[in-house]
Amino acid sequence: MRRSKKFAFPILVCFLVMLLLVTACSTNGGSSDQAGEGITTVTMWHGLTSIDLDNMNKVVKAFEEKNPTIKMNLVYTESNEGSDQKLLTAVAGGNPPDVALFDRFKVGTWAAQGSLTDLSSMAAESGIRKEMYYPFAWEESSYQGKLYAMPMDTDSRLLFYNKDHFNEVGLDPNKPPQTIAELEAAADKLTIKEGKRFKRIGFIPWYSQGWLYTWGWAFGGEFQDAATGKITANDPKVVEALQWMTDFGKKYNVEDIAGFTSAAGTEEMDPFISGQVSMKISGNFTVKGIEKFKPDLNYGVAPIPTPTGTNFTTWSGGGSAIIPKGAKNVAAAWEFLEFLGKEEGQTLLNADSQISVIDSVNDKYGYKDDPIMKEFINILPNSHNRPVIPEGQLLWNELASATEKATRGNGTPKENLDRVTETVNKALEKYDK
Amino acid sequence: MAKLADPVQVKAIPSARKRALHRTNAIGWLFASPWAIGLLCFYAIPMLMSIYFSFTTYSILQPGEFVGMNNYRDLFHDPLFWKSIYNTIYFTVFFVPLSIFFGVALAMMLNMKVKGMAVFRTIFFLPTLVPQVALAVLWMWLLHPNFGLVNGMLANIGIDGPSWLGGEAWSKPSLILMSLWGIGQAVVIYLAGLGDIPEEYYEAAQIDGANWFQKTRKVTLPLLTPVIFYNLVMGMIGAFQQFTLPYTLTKGQGTPANSMTFYVMYLYENGFRYFKMGYASAMAWILFIIVMALTGIIFITSKRWVHYQGK
Repeated sequence: MRRSKKFAFPILVCFLVMLLLVTACSTNGGSSDQAGEGITTVTMWHGLTSIDLDNMNKVVKAFEEKNPTIKMNLVYTESNEGSDQKLLTAVAGGNPPDVALFDRFKVGTWAAQGSLTDLSSMAAESGIRKEMYYPFAWEESSYQGKLYAMPMDTDSRLLFYNKDHFNEVGLDPNKPPQTIAELEAAADKLTIKEGKRFKRIGFIPWYSQGWLYTWGWAFGGEFQDAATGKITANDPKVVEALQWMTDFGKKYNVEDIAGFTSAAGTEEMDPFISGQVSMKISGNFTVKGIEKFKPDLNYGVAPIPTPTGTNFTTWSGGGSAIIPKGAKNVAAAWEFLEFLGKEEGQTLLNADSQISVIDSVNDKYGYKDDPIMKEFINILPNSHNRPVIPEGQLLWNELASATEKATRGNGTPKENLDRVTETVNKALEKYDK
Repeated sequence: MAKLADPVQVKAIPSARKRALHRTNAIGWLFASPWAIGLLCFYAIPMLMSIYFSFTTYSILQPGEFVGMNNYRDLFHDPLFWKSIYNTIYFTVFFVPLSIFFGVALAMMLNMKVKGMAVFRTIFFLPTLVPQVALAVLWMWLLHPNFGLVNGMLANIGIDGPSWLGGEAWSKPSLILMSLWGIGQAVVIYLAGLGDIPEEYYEAAQIDGANWFQKTRKVTLPLLTPVIFYNLVMGMIGAFQQFTLPYTLTKGQGTPANSMTFYVMYLYENGFRYFKMGYASAMAWILFIIVMALTGIIFITSKRWVHYQGK
């Protein structure tokens, strides 16, 4: 009697703990199809906030009205370009959401791991075609000829320049530099340096969105061999681009510039907004910030200068929606993706916020009449996307590190880019089997 | 502690009491079982699994295949791996001794009998309450080469400050500086250690005519060694695992020129961004061995320089 009493309490505690564990696990798991008779609940993980979330809610509302048998369940999960650990764990654990919002940049990596549902046949049946979208958007959503993601929005990179600064030093504010030589001359005029400190920098090639991708393509280089799929980071044109960046850095002394690039503020402290930088390469995503923090900033945007002053180009990324492998309601999830990818969904999704992946939608938004936005839209048909390879992140990091090493005089551009090419191609070998 | 483990004592327990002991043990384990099960499931098993994974090409999403020692062999040919080891050791070698020096010095100052000491102690402890990410953002501004407070003050006295986090030469020293700002935790432990030193020793030293320096050298420091020892071991382990601060500062890129790529950062990069979890597991175990070895060395040498009271 006494003994059993003694054991009763700990056993009870254990039992309760077990119960807690079991229920905690199961409530998460079976949330998919319990919403009632004939109604399928599609769970979507997203990382949207503010206006983008409002827009997504509008899309969901319109979608649910059209598809009364499907109910969308939006779940916020912290997600960004770098980390998708929650999704990663869910997919590895065999319990993923039905839909997840996803950076297109990672499609290659995840598709190569076999973790994304192939959407090609569903897309073909629903009339989702390549021609509907900007070429790069479709390209970046596909891996080895198969569609794995529904592109949602995009961006592009241009040269931002401060018109007041142009006036001040006697440059024509309506004639932004078009060639690399003009860019250098303008940068030289705009820079005010006192001793080691810059009062104002005309231009820093690698600042903000001035990645090697940006310049490599501007110089006419290619990062991937279209036929073999091999990485060609040491393409002579790309080497030339990096050489130019390095020379530019030498002229103004890299260590002195480093002050700006490493510790430069963002948002309202952006040195372009505060007038410490006269020209920069940046994307449409900073336009909103300028409107918000310094609406009277007198600036313009222009295509990124090229050596010849022709063949302007840029590169684009953006978001997409995917169906992870192992999702329970693939058919219903696809219905939503289809809605998201067609004009109606696109119009609701990107209003007042992003650039759509469908040209006519951007037209509808009136972007093509806006003096700033039209430049971003007009360049899109010639825009590039980063190579869709299983090691996209490695290539990105290697290129960034090669840029840094070369501009700091740690090896020549050629040596650094040869190493990038070798490293990434070696890492790609294991996927060829 | 030592007495409990004495085998003679255990044998002396009569058999009836021994049974009772067994029973209470069982109940104890039952109570501890939620913890024990948790520890096994979420700690021990994953840890042991990672040994196995370190011999495979496991990518989280795919089980991968067994590749023997390949991951380890590749690591030794990976220049960034060596760079990250160099960075981490650089940080540890400078940060740990400096943190002990400043920690002890601060603790001794905060141990003086002055009015309002509690306020000062609080002030020095406060920085440890700042989250690492906030700390990173704060110091990015303080150390801004052109507009930062630090360079501004240096300029006032005629020194042209370096570009701190922007330059290869100064990025790691900057990080050490930032980390030293948060030694309040260690200071509290040193303060407790100082409080443990009996007043009599100082009185005896006073009578012998020892000055402040002699008292510090012959009384305070030797009797503080157990605490220093503790902080040395913990500080070293912490320094080897340096992650949040440099990761936030460089957005995971380790800029400039990989001078801020620390061991655990590179490990994380491999595991979660390149999906090379097998490779990352191998790195984790190498780190484990390094830290174990260094801890072992410190423990062995501790017999010579750590003086426990009452021995």
